[in-house]
Amino acid sequence: MDVLLAQLLNSLLYAAVLFLIAGGLSLIYGVMRIVNLAHGSLFALGAYVMAWGISRVAGASGAEPAYLIVLLPVAAAAVGATGAVVEPLFLRPLYARAEEYQLLLTFGLLLILEDAMRYIWGATPLTVSPLWASFGSMHVLGATYPRYNVVVILLGLATAILLWAFVFKTRFGVILRATSQNRRMAAALGINVSAVYVQAFALGCLMAGLAGAVIVPIQGAVLGMGVDALILAFVVVVIGGLGSLEGALVGALIVGLVRTIAIQYFPELELAVLYLIAAVVLITRPAGLLGRA
Amino acid sequence: MPLLFAQGLRKSFGETRAVDGVDFFVESEELVSLVGSNGAGKTTLVNLLSGLLVPDAGSIAFQDTDITAVPVRDRIRAGIARSFQLVNLFDQLSALDNVRLAIFSRDGTTRQVLRLAERNRPAREEALEVLRDFGLEDKWDTPAAGLAQGERKLLDVALAYALRPKLILLDEPTSGVGTREKGTIMDAVAQLVRERFLAAVIVEHDMDVVFAYSHRIVMMHQGKVLAEGTPEQIRADERVAAALLGKA
Repeated sequence: MDVLLAQLLNSLLYAAVLFLIAGGLSLIYGVMRIVNLAHGSLFALGAYVMAWGISRVAGASGAEPAYLIVLLPVAAAAVGATGAVVEPLFLRPLYARAEEYQLLLTFGLLLILEDAMRYIWGATPLTVSPLWASFGSMHVLGATYPRYNVVVILLGLATAILLWAFVFKTRFGVILRATSQNRRMAAALGINVSAVYVQAFALGCLMAGLAGAVIVPIQGAVLGMGVDALILAFVVVVIGGLGSLEGALVGALIVGLVRTIAIQYFPELELAVLYLIAAVVLITRPAGLLGRA
Repeated sequence: MPLLFAQGLRKSFGETRAVDGVDFFVESEELVSLVGSNGAGKTTLVNLLSGLLVPDAGSIAFQDTDITAVPVRDRIRAGIARSFQLVNLFDQLSALDNVRLAIFSRDGTTRQVLRLAERNRPAREEALEVLRDFGLEDKWDTPAAGLAQGERKLLDVALAYALRPKLILLDEPTSGVGTREKGTIMDAVAQLVRERFLAAVIVEHDMDVVFAYSHRIVMMHQGKVLAEGTPEQIRADERVAAALLGKA
């Protein structure tokens, strides 16, 4: 029973991080119709910035008390700011062109970001596990579970709720949804579409950065983590439906659960099972479980 | 000076002179119809007036201010709104949200972006009132995609009206709907002109509609103004009859 509960929490932990990544990817696609191949690298950037920031603050002592978690929004905001620079500078000139150019450009960004991170932080992984350890563990229904992981799960849940409220309940949300549905009409009504695009892109990047920052105390910052995350985020949005936030949530939960089960019972097939689910969804419901065809 | 005053407007697309030296004006509280065969330059003229296109030559003044090169967004702020020939709605948003969006846009997108839309009572009340003006209040919760064609046309005009313009440009507001719905749409527009002191420019093909509702008619042909006058004057103009017959 304890093991099962721990596994369930593990899958929720994984789903929370995946939702942050895939939700941002889906948000950007939903509003701007851009598949951002650099999204995984922005996730990695969040991880590196968080790890670097903590090591700077903690200094040589190596002590990383729990309050350093306040750096989370800082790291996320740094990645969001990166997005706010990238969109107007690199993506905006390409909106009039065919989608292939945008794909190529975001792929180029992926390569640049990966190399930039290698250049700045080196090939050795950065770890901040003392921060994770300083949170200690807690008892959940008889099972002992790391408290930090529970914080991450709650953070994912809170982000999902906040994002939903933001998109469906606020003035900006109405504007965001309208722009995603009919860009031309939005412009004709006097909405500053360029500003909406920067904000949506930065918000999507911020979510990726938050995911990276939140995961780094658990698994560290490693070169290549961005590409792995990108692939899994694609599996999530293929299952849930690209451009749908609910889809990203459902997809993340499915992938989180399936992956945990797979690791437990047939670890060598972990990724294969996920791809298989994605393939079945693609064949039976090409727009994803919650996507609009 | 009239509300809107355009002089010597020219716009070419390659070799085609879509608008070829047009003078055009609209007085306050006036309903002007733009007529002419397809390709006469009506929509191009509307695009120049609304800011979607910048003229190759000529000038446009609105309320005595030059707006020739002013972008769409700022023209809306100045008081010029438009609707398109093809219905342009946010299909998945409710009728209310469609109108509310126009209101949010008009009030500025930068302030209070995080404010809950539902809590924004004035915007909600105003949007409902606009829907009422167009007889759509019962459909406030229906997604735009679920409305009948005539209702979609009405909502389209309502969106432009919700921007609280002084001048509204409507590109074929009654195309693709039945005769009775044409009357409904035009009655709504005429009422706004009469009771809300709006000026309107309407691109229209149905001459019965044009004669019934216009204060003034401007007939375009091959990028130029061919004739201009009251419905009676236009009805009596032989050049207009010839051009209309030529089209048919």
